[in-house]
Amino acid sequence: MKDRLAAAVKRSRAGYTEIRVERTWSSAVAFRGRRLETATVSEDQGGFVRVLNTGCGWGIASFTSLDELPAMVARANELSRAVRVDEPIRLAEATPQTADGVLDLDGDVRGVALSEKKKLLDAYNGAMLAVSNSIVDTQSSYRDEVSEVWYINSEGASLYQLRPEVVVSGTAIGRRNGNIEKGLESIGLRKGWNSVQHFEDRFRVVAQRAVELLDAPRVRGGAYPVILDNELAGVFIHEAFGHLSEADFVYENPQAREMMTLGRRFGKPALNVGDNGAAPGLRGTLPYDDEGTPTQDTPLIREGILVGRLHSRETAAKLGERPTGNARAISFRHPPIVRMTNTYIAPGKADVGFQELIRDIKLGVYACGAFGGQTMLENFSFTAGWGHMIRDGKVAELVKDVVLAGNLFQTLDRIDHIAGDFTWNQMGGGCGKGGQFPLPVTEGAPHVRIEEALIGGDV
Amino acid sequence: MIDRLLDSARGKVDGADALWRREEQTAVAFESGRLKAAGISEEAGLNLRVLAGGRMGVAGTTAAAPDTAALVARARASAELGEIVDLAFPGAAASSLPPIPTFFDRTANASLDDMIRMGRLLVERLARPDCQVNVSVEREIADTAVGNTAGARGEYRATGIAVTADITRIAGDDVLMVYDQYVGADMPSDADLEALVRSVETRLTAALKIVTPPDGALPVIFTPAGLAAVVLPLEQALSGKTVLQGSSPLAGKVGEKLFDERLSIVDDPLTPGRPASRPVDDECVPSRSTGLVEHGTVGRFVYDLETAARAKTQSTGNGRRGVFGKPHIGYTNVLFRMTDGVGARHGVQTDALGGGLIADIADGLIVDDLIGVGQGNVISGAFSHPVGLAYRVQRGEITGRVKDAAVAGNVYDLLKRIGGFGSDGRWLGSRWSPSMLLDGVSVASR
Repeated sequence: MKDRLAAAVKRSRAGYTEIRVERTWSSAVAFRGRRLETATVSEDQGGFVRVLNTGCGWGIASFTSLDELPAMVARANELSRAVRVDEPIRLAEATPQTADGVLDLDGDVRGVALSEKKKLLDAYNGAMLAVSNSIVDTQSSYRDEVSEVWYINSEGASLYQLRPEVVVSGTAIGRRNGNIEKGLESIGLRKGWNSVQHFEDRFRVVAQRAVELLDAPRVRGGAYPVILDNELAGVFIHEAFGHLSEADFVYENPQAREMMTLGRRFGKPALNVGDNGAAPGLRGTLPYDDEGTPTQDTPLIREGILVGRLHSRETAAKLGERPTGNARAISFRHPPIVRMTNTYIAPGKADVGFQELIRDIKLGVYACGAFGGQTMLENFSFTAGWGHMIRDGKVAELVKDVVLAGNLFQTLDRIDHIAGDFTWNQMGGGCGKGGQFPLPVTEGAPHVRIEEALIGGDV
Repeated sequence: MIDRLLDSARGKVDGADALWRREEQTAVAFESGRLKAAGISEEAGLNLRVLAGGRMGVAGTTAAAPDTAALVARARASAELGEIVDLAFPGAAASSLPPIPTFFDRTANASLDDMIRMGRLLVERLARPDCQVNVSVEREIADTAVGNTAGARGEYRATGIAVTADITRIAGDDVLMVYDQYVGADMPSDADLEALVRSVETRLTAALKIVTPPDGALPVIFTPAGLAAVVLPLEQALSGKTVLQGSSPLAGKVGEKLFDERLSIVDDPLTPGRPASRPVDDECVPSRSTGLVEHGTVGRFVYDLETAARAKTQSTGNGRRGVFGKPHIGYTNVLFRMTDGVGARHGVQTDALGGGLIADIADGLIVDDLIGVGQGNVISGAFSHPVGLAYRVQRGEITGRVKDAAVAGNVYDLLKRIGGFGSDGRWLGSRWSPSMLLDGVSVASR
């Protein structure tokens, strides 16, 4: 395959040419309630060509018919030449990488019978349904894949990557007297079959919580001191800050660049944030990004000060910085754009625990788990899976509909306490941007306290 | 392709249906006012479903020359694990398809230069100091063929075009983003593009001044874009799948009047000129419109073949399928209509923000965008979201944009009495609706 791609690149008449070809083997099982929805094996394959000419814009072609490869290189070149630009597009210098990046398959999913995968999911799904008669519905899914990716560019890069992935997710829906609540568990790993065994308890717990939430009051809206658990703190840093650190947000926008000036204070000295695509064994981990740049640990906030941002080769060149290995595409159907990988809030002092964070809160909210999050630039929203009121320094009653809304700058600045209990939270699903969803990412954080945050809800 | 695949399945399975689709997309993108990229995408795929031993299985492939025998074998292996389902494929008699234009030559023939010109025009019309304008123009041509072993066949070509414009304005730490889109099967007219420009301009201009948000249970106008949080729980609850599963709050409520009697909601695949329109669904069921809510009363739920068989009813023609996975329920065009009967006001069509509903509001909000729609406990009808783009209305006038506020409520409570329907009905993607005024929405500020 490498030779075939190299030949096509060689024949290209464009100034810069890159080709990415993917072949993905995947299988999927899904239950809804007791009922099996699907059990399938799929094979997907296709290619992506991107070219650049001096004084011209990007020409892009994606296709499922690999026989068309030479024609597609020519088409991409025509498209590039049709796009005249007044300001040249440049790519940051990069040392062409030639390597085979083969990640550990940890139990090759291609060798496990579909019926075994059905059995595993049936057990997790059954664990949720068995919790209570109030669990009226479940949605459970198992999906695995092994993806082969070839990448060749006209500067001499030549990469082959083998990437496994496995995701098990379950939603338990509880219903009583017209009240409906849900509990969600999701495990997503860049690993294989061996790594998703024996999770019955985790699925049981979320179903129990869905039942408990049926009797829980809605949180009363307003401003509170809020403690985020590890999972929600991770979603928070990804959504509220991570997206603004993607350089494609600032590189063409002088006002945005001013807002995100390196050296600006973003938080108290306790706050350290980064993105690490090279962290071993995580779902957002890749040896090379989709422009062939090696991934790395990129500090974004150090002791409260903005020190870095995430780059593609194009954004790095424009801002005179170095590529960080964050140009990613969800598949051959899309161009690489600046994305996060494994984004984290670094732990505070090892001896600082949850108790130190909660002790002096008279009335507050402990927000746990994440149903999701979204940013609209400096404003964000994230939905906790559940919450507890904090009363007189202690975790009190369970509350539901805990939605945190806020302004990035105010909220980051109000993080006043960070625990030492860091964990990576490897969930399924993924991040969406520019029509590309779901991109595998991981978030990591310890417990984090926000002095004051807005909780939506009844007023 | 379909015939060859179905022939290959015959004798090996009890029945089969299949979909073949080829899509060709062309796109141009302007970033920060400058043309940046042009791209094409070509994709073809084949999806097969079989019935074997009373069980259902599926398989799909994007291979250029699919091995039909291997695909049938994969679908059979999938069926071995599948559930028993009493599914009948529609026969050839059902194949008289409604005539509905889905293919527009002007769209199909638009050249790359035409698309670049259109994008450049928008960029020029929207340019202003200290604002960044992004524009994209995307055109799609799709060929679809469906068929089954009961003899039904359907085939159509369709075009679609989406023109998207957004403006970002950053002043200090205030980030304002205004966005709108034209989506159609036919090319936008000059008037359509003008309306797009005006829509972005109107909302940008009204947003320049920031005012403090109000607090309490207030009247809130949800614009057609802002309605997403209200629409989503209804779309989930009206799905036959959710009903079968027992998680829909509307299960067992057909014929009950649960909403304001002026509200009707229709799923209509036969609206001319819409990209979601089609003569036949992805399971060979001829298209027809379905009254989901009629004069405030719960009408029909939408079904595909499988859920209809399980619910012992007929498919509503809402089967949708991709290359991979099995067919599922999908809406086509969803229209929120104000129906006459109780002295409904018919204003002249307006593109004023709020759809002409602001006059009687002493203090309230216009919500144009909420953050995080789809998160949380959607099916219950409860929502709670910070505002992405919202305006304060005081004494009948828009006084400015509000930030740092969240709105919350329950769709089923709020839609019992709708305060008013705007005169600004429009398409937004595949949904048509006017603005709606809902009373007693919780507004929390900081």
